[in-house]
Amino acid sequence: MIALRTLLLTFLVVLVSGSRSFAQATEAPTDDVRSVLTDLITGNGTEEDNLARLSEFGDPVIKDIVEAWRVGKVFVSPGTEPDTQVALLKTDDGFVNIANGQAWQGDPSVASVNRASRGLRKQLSRLVDVLDLASPDLSKRADSAMKLGSGQSPDFLAELQTRLPKQTDRKTRRAFEEAIAISQLANGSTAEKIASLELLGERHLIAARDFIKRMREGYTTDETPDGQLILVKADAALASIASFEKKVEFYGTLFRGLSLGSVLLIVAYGLAITFGLMGVINMAHGEFIAIGAYTVYVVQNFFAAHFGEASSGYESYFLVSLPLAFLVAAFFGAVLERTVIRFLYKRPLESLLATWGISMIIQQALRLKFGAANVSVASPQWLSGSFDANGVTMTYNRIFVIIFALVVVLFTWLLLRRTRIGLHMRATMQNRAMASGLGIPANRINVFTFAFGSGLAGLAGAFLSQIGNVGPSMGQAYIVDSFMVVVIGGVGNLFGAAVSSLGIGMIDQSLQPILGPVMGKITVLIGIILFLQWRPGGLFPSRSRSLDD
Amino acid sequence: MNRKQFLTSTLAATSLALVSAAHAADDTVKVGVLHSLSGTMAISETSLRDILLFTFDEINAAGGVMGKKIEPVVVDGASDWPLFAEKAEQLLVQDKVAVTFGCWTSVSRKSVLPVFEKYNGMLFYPVQYEGEEMSKNIFYTAEAVNQQAIPAVDYMLEEGIKKFYLVGTDYVYPQTTNLILFEYLQSKGVPVENIGGGLRKDSDGNVISAGKYVPFSHTDFQQIVSEIKSFAASGDACVINTINGDSNVPFFKEFAAAGLTSEDCPVVSFSISEDEFRSLPAKDLVGHLGCWNYFMSIDSPANKKFIGDFMAWLKTTDVPGIVKENRVTCSPMVLSYDGVYLWKAAVEKAGSFDVDKVREALESGITFEGPNGKITSMKNHHFIKNVYIGETLEDGQFQIIKTFDQVPAEPFLKGTFE
Repeated sequence: MIALRTLLLTFLVVLVSGSRSFAQATEAPTDDVRSVLTDLITGNGTEEDNLARLSEFGDPVIKDIVEAWRVGKVFVSPGTEPDTQVALLKTDDGFVNIANGQAWQGDPSVASVNRASRGLRKQLSRLVDVLDLASPDLSKRADSAMKLGSGQSPDFLAELQTRLPKQTDRKTRRAFEEAIAISQLANGSTAEKIASLELLGERHLIAARDFIKRMREGYTTDETPDGQLILVKADAALASIASFEKKVEFYGTLFRGLSLGSVLLIVAYGLAITFGLMGVINMAHGEFIAIGAYTVYVVQNFFAAHFGEASSGYESYFLVSLPLAFLVAAFFGAVLERTVIRFLYKRPLESLLATWGISMIIQQALRLKFGAANVSVASPQWLSGSFDANGVTMTYNRIFVIIFALVVVLFTWLLLRRTRIGLHMRATMQNRAMASGLGIPANRINVFTFAFGSGLAGLAGAFLSQIGNVGPSMGQAYIVDSFMVVVIGGVGNLFGAAVSSLGIGMIDQSLQPILGPVMGKITVLIGIILFLQWRPGGLFPSRSRSLDD
Repeated sequence: MNRKQFLTSTLAATSLALVSAAHAADDTVKVGVLHSLSGTMAISETSLRDILLFTFDEINAAGGVMGKKIEPVVVDGASDWPLFAEKAEQLLVQDKVAVTFGCWTSVSRKSVLPVFEKYNGMLFYPVQYEGEEMSKNIFYTAEAVNQQAIPAVDYMLEEGIKKFYLVGTDYVYPQTTNLILFEYLQSKGVPVENIGGGLRKDSDGNVISAGKYVPFSHTDFQQIVSEIKSFAASGDACVINTINGDSNVPFFKEFAAAGLTSEDCPVVSFSISEDEFRSLPAKDLVGHLGCWNYFMSIDSPANKKFIGDFMAWLKTTDVPGIVKENRVTCSPMVLSYDGVYLWKAAVEKAGSFDVDKVREALESGITFEGPNGKITSMKNHHFIKNVYIGETLEDGQFQIIKTFDQVPAEPFLKGTFE
């Protein structure tokens, strides 16, 4: 074990000295890099030697191969001469020999996948970080600077310092400065340490928090004036970071509340129409969500089969599946309305039992068609990932859902308030007999409204496939939340549903950090019960002149 | 027909009759299978039913146990814990089974435990659990905490990890495991502030719960992932994940979306095996770690033969309701398989199906060379096994990166670390 450590240390030193000669080494012919890589992959010579040799090169091909190695795209195959091996890179159109970059003509069946060990990968990623310091991609440059700085190795510190003056972009420059400051916490002189603490405090860098704490521990018993000064500066920096963290936490909670509220909103909006407006206690609402999600799954598989999973065509599957999810769910909604619901408008309690039975039938049908296990839906590239807004992580899929919810609400509002069919819908929902007496085709309007509500549920399912499970009983997880939102908002009031879902989302997310997810949820539910005791009609009770209400 | 001929033929006839009578009554031994074949747990537990039926067929084809064929009695616990106790009673009282293989969740095991103790039955339990239990009527082929969670933490410490974030589903296994890990990490010199997820203390200031817990089927992990992101901001952090079931999907999706990777902050999961991967987005889990007593990727002739035989059996079996496509093997399945063979060896050593004698034989130490390597029974009703740590690959398999050889199980760990 100790021997291994020493070896690793020596290797790192060699690696670093290699990276120093980086500037001169860029001229080296690519063929040599390739032969070293081949040696490393096929295990020809010791790992340490090969890594040290590799660090002499600043060739981008290293990065590509290292990345391919990580994701299982590097293969080895016995060479033409005995006891030799060929390292291969798997590409979309066959194997490429890593040693010469040419297509490989051997027998693919003897090639077997080769994987770098975790330890080796760590060493390689540091190597790639050093390469990335000169990357044309500025965010990569900043990332690798931070990674090397966080390593707190004195050798990388020198590397960072020599590169700092060359950084012209403001963001990258800041990243370099911060990385240097973190590294100096461990390697700098007293003056440098103090300057670093001031810089990190001023930039309130959360990533530096643990490094400052660790360094502070070393000075707790230091009585010298220098030591005392460092303690004071460290405390000031930590306080500044802590207050920034509080701020980030606050805005983060706001964002998360908004996104959870939006999820609740799109999940409940379909129900706000079928239950809220039409008065059908629709227990099958969750299953329409599931139908929407499975539509995405089917479209995804279709696109994967037709375009291949790496193509840009595949990436757009989600956009195609959104309207399809709406249409498929709406179609099933229309069928359900014609066959079952239309007989039950006057008997809401029976509609509860009937739709509950239907929900079980749909679940079982999904199980028979797609299997009892959950299916996996991959997110398209443009919906995965996140960006950092002043410390708050905003993921793309959450931003998407907020906008999506907004569009759904706006569209529904326009449909109901600004179109003729919307007027007919409102009239029919208020009083079916009167509406049809005035010449409104009430039957058709009923089908349309129920299909529209079901379609919205399908849309919700399409989005949920991006953040959660897709399975036959996935709807069950959302049905309670949906009814909660509609009842709190005031049955029959779409605007109320929007307000209540955002409110519940916000309260849930603010309580979670204090009480934890389990107690938080219980508290929200108790709050809702108390609220309904106080205002049984919800936030915005609908007023009507009908004697039943 | 002379006298001699007559004698021989009657003798032959009677002995034939005797043999066939004995065949009906004595040539089989009843063995219980007690798993959920419907309800929430069915997804995991039907795989164990399948592997048990396969094992019985394999043993029967090789001559059975002490010359007797195994006759399985399969009952459905239906993910309903009181029903598990009723079904256990039925197996013991009505069917008089010699041994039972079953249960998945800790709560189902706790429900049947008094039944097995009352009727002096024998249960083999195959799924990782929290320990703190040792019934004379149960043998735990399952991973004890020191055969899964503790080796995993040891490995992370060895890798230079300094901060551990604990997150799990809110029930007995994650709660107990994390509490043990909390003590263990402190004993290894990890300061309390480097153990993330929060602590809950009772009125005397004793820690009663460590880590962050979510309800079953939790879907919103934004808050937790943002906490992990801040916790891991300075690097050298990992997540110890005891989230159960399909909540793992939203967790890993949120984790990946927030820009956290297995390089910055690896997640070590204790409840995700190859079988669970069939419904997880493997892309989001690549590079994260798992720790079990078996991986399908173990490169040994015994394992290759086991997988081959099981797949061949799946093709030919006519038991209704067995899924035949995309099947994998995983740790709970192999520990079920091992359990049957260990029981068989113990019966043969004791020369009897009697529960007390078989127990004695098992307590004296029975060894079986299974697909997961050597497994030996211990006096404390647990087993000495190999522990493997694996890294998730994009096809839902694990690449084994570390093996701990022959780790004896220790069920009582709480309060043992200084």
